[in-house]
Amino acid sequence: MTTLTAPPATATTRPPTRKRRRRSGANAWLTVLLILASVFTVLPFIAVFVLAITPEGAQTIPQKMPDEVTLDNLSAVLSASSFLRWTLNSFVFSIVSVVIILLAAAMAGYAFARKRFPGSNALMWSFLATLMVPAQATLIPMFVLVSRMEGVNTFWGLIVPTLANSQSVFLMRQFIKDLPDDLFDAAKIDGAGEWTVFWRLVLPLTKPVLATLGIFVFLWHWNDFLWPLVIAQTDDMRTLTVGLSTLNAETVTRARIMASAAISVVPCLIIFGVLQRYLVNSIATTGLKG
Amino acid sequence: MTLQRTAPPRPTWRQRVRDPGWGVIFVLPMLVLFVIFRFVPSLGAVGMSFTDYRLSGDFEFIGAENYRRLIEDDLFFDSLRVTLMYALMYVPLTLVVSLGTATMLHHVIRGRGLFRGLLFLPYVTSFVMAGIIWIWIYDTDGLINGALERVGLGPVPFITGNQAMVLGSLAVVSVWKSFGYSMLILLAGLKNIPEDVMEAATLDGAGAGAKFRRITLPLLKPVLFFVVVIETIVAFQVFDTIYVMTGGGPARASYGLVYMLYDQGFKFFDFGYAATIGVMLFLVVLAISLVQRYVLDRENT
Repeated sequence: MTTLTAPPATATTRPPTRKRRRRSGANAWLTVLLILASVFTVLPFIAVFVLAITPEGAQTIPQKMPDEVTLDNLSAVLSASSFLRWTLNSFVFSIVSVVIILLAAAMAGYAFARKRFPGSNALMWSFLATLMVPAQATLIPMFVLVSRMEGVNTFWGLIVPTLANSQSVFLMRQFIKDLPDDLFDAAKIDGAGEWTVFWRLVLPLTKPVLATLGIFVFLWHWNDFLWPLVIAQTDDMRTLTVGLSTLNAETVTRARIMASAAISVVPCLIIFGVLQRYLVNSIATTGLKG
Repeated sequence: MTLQRTAPPRPTWRQRVRDPGWGVIFVLPMLVLFVIFRFVPSLGAVGMSFTDYRLSGDFEFIGAENYRRLIEDDLFFDSLRVTLMYALMYVPLTLVVSLGTATMLHHVIRGRGLFRGLLFLPYVTSFVMAGIIWIWIYDTDGLINGALERVGLGPVPFITGNQAMVLGSLAVVSVWKSFGYSMLILLAGLKNIPEDVMEAATLDGAGAGAKFRRITLPLLKPVLFFVVVIETIVAFQVFDTIYVMTGGGPARASYGLVYMLYDQGFKFFDFGYAATIGVMLFLVVLAISLVQRYVLDRENT
């Protein structure tokens, strides 16, 4: 499920021929269609930001563009204590998960790729088999388990159950398996201990895949909803997604809701802006699903 | 290039058990997490489905009572029907959109990187965020109805109308948010189609449409199939947008399978029954995957 054949980008540059020129008409149409499709994907974002800076009660899109803009909605959202708390919770939830998953998945991936131990194959397969079980199917027993361990409304109850992630283990295993054997032999001959090999060899060599995985794990957690919804029941434990879902037109103005949504999407947009090419390539080569 | 390594004598099973070594130490943190938070809940779901587990933690084994109740529960079959209807709208729509955009990106000469980025953009947001934006887009004074009003049409009751309208509107939101993933997978598949096959077809005088039907689609089949299976499984797990946008309504028009699970579990605290719905969800997803295996195996022989 997580492996697709990597596409070797065949960049064959050919001189422009008559055939090419004849196709430029078709290409203009392609461009027009792509612009329309891009409007479909981007317009909602623009609309959110426009609504977020429209003064409350003022006329705005879709009737017309607002006459004046204001930062009041945004600053009101940012000074509301709940919103900051939700943002902080989302950061803790996402970043702690990224750090632990990367470390534990690198360790497990290293073990599965380079070590033999009794039952290693069966264990690998049983890890993979959990991909077949949707998270929603185990939601109830998971909640019962965590609540019996007194984990409701705690950070560990929010974070720890989401750390058992088979996609990341499998990805690390594939990557570490493909590293050259000689490196590990050389380290062994130099008398490096097991931890030295892991910290000084495995982790530095897997940096690219760790970075990719880190972005995905961050997005998975930042955007996660169902688990935080059931486990974070008090307002000060809510993550951004759960907090946003509690805002509705009866209690908050639309301008406020849109301002909250606009702010909550900023970290994802930054990640996207900086790492877009990276993210896009890694989906094509690894099939990682967000 | 390298010398043939002579394999050391393989230790016996008994030796390996007595000295499991570093492999076990390295795998231990993940193993503990998996045992407690994956294996135990998976078995627990099956176990709980045979009990009347309540919020208090008290329970008794009641045999297959939950399953009997489920097949007599109209609500369950309605939710199954809702989910199926939703999947029948979502999967073809997302397939057409992602295949269409992937094909256009593959052929466009200028601005491919830019367009790819813009089309992929919604993928990094959450379904909650998508739901909040689209509530406004669908609203009576929102983006679409506001535009329709200018030309004297509407308002269209996107998420307050009849069932087909509501589920279709929800499907559009999910397509908007997540087609970028399938688009990239299909784009990678398109790049893998050898150029010389296409050129040979062009020399034989095949038009663009014929090339797409006769060459692109057959060669893309495995990737298309992967996308269909993944998206079908995703469709059966729909929850976030329903929760944010319709709350299962209006009048249970969007009361899907996972929404019913949540409702039974966290509104009525009927954990045993909700766990049973979870088991059914697992069986549905399993069935989809098995059909995939069957079809793929038959293709290969």
